[in-house]
Amino acid sequence: MKHYEVEILDAKTREKLCFLDKVEPHATIAEIKNLFTKPHPQWYPARQSLRLDPKGKSLKDEDILQKLPVGTTATLYFRDLGAQISWVTVFLTEYAGPLFIYLLFYFRVPFIYGHKYDFTSSRHTVVHLACICHSFHYVKRLLETLFVHRFSHGTMPLRNIFKNCTYYWGFAAWMAYYINHPLYTPPTYGAQQVKLALAIFVICQLGNFSIHMALRDLRPAGSKTRKIPYPTKNPFTWLFLLVSCPNYTYEVGSWIGFAIMTQCLPVALFSLVGFTQMTIWAKGKHRSYLKEFRDYPPLRMPIIPFLL
Amino acid sequence: MAAAAATAAAKGNGGGGGRAGAGDASGTRKKKGPGPLATAYLVIYNVVMTAGWLVIAVGLVRAYLAKGSYHSLYYSIEKPLKFFQTGALLEILHCAIGIVPSSVVLTSFQVMSRVFLIWAVTHSVKEVQSEDSVLLFVIAWTITEIIRYSFYTFSLLNHLPYLIKWARYTLFIVLYPMGVSGELLTIYAALPFVRQAGLYSISLPNKYNFSFDYHAFLILIMISYIPIFPQLYFHMIHQRRKILSHTEEHKKFE
Repeated sequence: MKHYEVEILDAKTREKLCFLDKVEPHATIAEIKNLFTKPHPQWYPARQSLRLDPKGKSLKDEDILQKLPVGTTATLYFRDLGAQISWVTVFLTEYAGPLFIYLLFYFRVPFIYGHKYDFTSSRHTVVHLACICHSFHYVKRLLETLFVHRFSHGTMPLRNIFKNCTYYWGFAAWMAYYINHPLYTPPTYGAQQVKLALAIFVICQLGNFSIHMALRDLRPAGSKTRKIPYPTKNPFTWLFLLVSCPNYTYEVGSWIGFAIMTQCLPVALFSLVGFTQMTIWAKGKHRSYLKEFRDYPPLRMPIIPFLL
Repeated sequence: MAAAAATAAAKGNGGGGGRAGAGDASGTRKKKGPGPLATAYLVIYNVVMTAGWLVIAVGLVRAYLAKGSYHSLYYSIEKPLKFFQTGALLEILHCAIGIVPSSVVLTSFQVMSRVFLIWAVTHSVKEVQSEDSVLLFVIAWTITEIIRYSFYTFSLLNHLPYLIKWARYTLFIVLYPMGVSGELLTIYAALPFVRQAGLYSISLPNKYNFSFDYHAFLILIMISYIPIFPQLYFHMIHQRRKILSHTEEHKKFE
């Protein structure tokens, strides 16, 4: 069996960082990354981007050395992706925040509202209902992160956690402040409005969960395979007929429901910002599906049936 | 900061033309540039803007000479100032449609901060219009914009006099801090009047469960200058080193 030699150069300075000899031909990039970490322990595998061309795309962990267009002495270029943090950690942190923060406002912890309101309770039913819905939403997200989602990537850049947490925690505090405020004004159309909003919210939460389960079932544990999602027996998944990312559709729906329920402008603004971001993601995902699968159903739109 | 961003953000308002190099300050050799129709339009745009700011400059000088003092000169150039500064919103469009190679986000930020100062502070709070701080930023902006727009005009015509390039990348050293000081002092002066009148503010209770305190918002804006201004300033210093020394070397080899 002929062994390969692998030299790893810095993509920017072309400095020779590492020379590996006697590398098995069927070694994967992941294994090479592990070998590279030994002389450079500060660059753990998740932070390494190895590529054939200094300006080219990163090689995947699953790529096999002998299948790459290299001779028996392979030259790889290294780029430091910066400190990395696992997706799971980011999700748990960014979701735990809103759950906790909202409750601080709900229980009217001191120094938020005037002292005479400390630890008092709202007299409006909708305020209690809103707390239940908001809390349920984030508990659901935390549980999904732990037990449902199957992530393609292990890590993301560390700075993302600061960005994401600012977004989620900031908006949660902003919304919670008004909904739990002693001067909160309940919805104009009263119980009717709240009931309708709650129905929308519950349907969309169930829908979103159904999609997450359907997506999970597309992919075996530990794998990173991608397949076209299709409707299942669960009626909530029938939205797959019309959109590529019904999970986002349902998510927007949930927040619209919550906005109607609380009749709170900051909630509407949060929904709008979230919708914008999810639309960008949905369009990207939709494009990836179209690129990867020749037989992708043509009727589907990224996030809103027929429209967007 | 509106003054600072003006020079820093717009890498080329059509300055992608030729070897002048200042347009591609990032170092990328993209010689594409706008097409002939877009170039003609941009030349007209930049000439008009240069003229506009010259009108403001002349207006200031004439008013000063007529009044004999530099106080309350704002009123004599209020209309052209509003017109031409607001007109700069077009520059966002230029970036968005791609005839100018700058970032939409950066340009938006720069233009919106100027427009904010003109309309949401100076126009809205009449009591600050007679403040000297207004003159401070108006002068800084006027000189900056005359140089900047003539810089773009010449760049588009592929004939950029070194003096203009030098001026653009040197005068900011004084004009930025001057403009920023004028802006901050003006916002600061507006605060008591905003609070008193409850300007642009909404309080609870209301049926949309929303509140906004413009006074607090203005304070936040002032605080935001602290992280943002140094970044823009040092970016320009960095650009200056790159571009002015680059030209020196070109001259050596000619």
